[in-house]
Amino acid sequence: MASEVRSAPTGTEAGVVLRAVTRAMWVTLLNLFRKPVTVHYPDTTRAYPERYRGLLALVYEKDTGEEACIGCRLCEYVCPPAVIKVEMLKSEKRNYAKTFTLELYACEFCELCVQVCPTDAIVMTKSFDLPTSDRREMLLDKDRLHALGLQHQPSWATGTLLREMQGPPKMVRAEAHARKEDEAARPGGAA
Amino acid sequence: MPAWLAPIVAPFIVLNVIIGIVTYVTLLERKFAARMQSRIGPYRVGPHGLLQPIADAVKLMIKEDVVPAAVDRPVFNLAPIVFLVPCMLIFATIPFAPGLGVADLNIGVLFFLAVSSMEIVGLFMAGWGSNNKYALLSAMRAVNQIISYDLPFIFSALVPVMLAGSLKLSEIAAAQDGLWFVFYPVIGQLAFAAFLVSTLAAENRVPFDILEAESELVAGFRVEYSGMKFALIQLGEYAHIVGSSFLGALLFLGAWAGPGPEWLGPIWFLLKAMFFFLLVTWVRWSFVRIRVDQILAFSWKVLLPSTLLLLVSTAVVVVWRHSGV
Repeated sequence: MASEVRSAPTGTEAGVVLRAVTRAMWVTLLNLFRKPVTVHYPDTTRAYPERYRGLLALVYEKDTGEEACIGCRLCEYVCPPAVIKVEMLKSEKRNYAKTFTLELYACEFCELCVQVCPTDAIVMTKSFDLPTSDRREMLLDKDRLHALGLQHQPSWATGTLLREMQGPPKMVRAEAHARKEDEAARPGGAA
Repeated sequence: MPAWLAPIVAPFIVLNVIIGIVTYVTLLERKFAARMQSRIGPYRVGPHGLLQPIADAVKLMIKEDVVPAAVDRPVFNLAPIVFLVPCMLIFATIPFAPGLGVADLNIGVLFFLAVSSMEIVGLFMAGWGSNNKYALLSAMRAVNQIISYDLPFIFSALVPVMLAGSLKLSEIAAAQDGLWFVFYPVIGQLAFAAFLVSTLAAENRVPFDILEAESELVAGFRVEYSGMKFALIQLGEYAHIVGSSFLGALLFLGAWAGPGPEWLGPIWFLLKAMFFFLLVTWVRWSFVRIRVDQILAFSWKVLLPSTLLLLVSTAVVVVWRHSGV
């Protein structure tokens, strides 16, 4: 067992070496007859982990079906490698993004753009699947980002959710926390 | 076929067959190593990766041949060839079946041992000509190691020679008709183990691969080589390993002896050589690299005296058995 603390080997030096040699050869021999763990990637894929966050994408609003992005350029300001460029399109009720480009080849996937997005328009998806032999194909424009959003499943993390988690504790949450602690402190209460 | 043509045609055929075997041995090693690490290995090129060696060869051939500005050009360019020739020459004496070989010399074993250690000249030329500190260090280590391990290598190879009473490889093979030398009580097994260890060292395989030690010397003496010259060096190295495997199979595993009709002989021989090769590979993927001083100490303090003792005791056994007590 790997977790056991093994004592230092005892005996003569030759004995120790000999035992180590046979042990090493035995391990590799056993491995030889074990089934390979390789997954043939393009043919079969492994399931993504539940909280996987990969490629960036733009999404539509769920209820109205309109573009969620309002072109506020917060993501452009916050982006550390400055790979996002947004132009705003002023409109009557709400604003839109006239253009939205993301240079994915330089993106460092820090997720800051997702965290600042006030309308949850930009999200990460459960996919890393964008291989290409041409860098220019990684220059994602607005249409391409929307297409990616439709193509892949969005990850659990939206801007609102992340801000909620990171922000200072709200009154409601503080009260709930205090109530829980109270119950736990009372003998037999938490059971 | 005119008589004068035979000495040209036979080596040509053997050389090409050997190059074919050597190419596919790389695939065998990669597959075997992969399975030891719970991987699959080459799989995409051709069914189960069977065309991988050809793809590799083509890739190496069409690669750019970079010659660094500071190298010693004649030495640098000549080294791969000087390295490759002895590695290919060792196949000259090996009889692949009774009477099937290029030249069944009456000093076959001696020729093999002498020629196979000549590769060190090409190796040192490569290390020196590259004008690179890693390459030079690696070449010096290689010379060091070859000198240390040639004696145990020769001594352990001499045990079957003494048991068979001949230096001719075909006679050694024929002498194992009843009992393969690896099954010869005590002496056979010890000699086989010593032969295996010194083969590993002579071929610079893990755990004796200090001369290419990736983590300290990048790739050792071939660090400056690329393209076809690199391919030639790789080819030479694997040819040397395959040649030693054939020698091991011949000296200890009974060469072409096996069940079935006589024409199956070369196939049995090849299978046994591949078994020996897989043993070497198995060792390679089981151990870590050992230090220079440990390698030298192991050779001079353990392997050399014990193989010498083994040789003397073999002589005693042979004389005792022949005196007809």
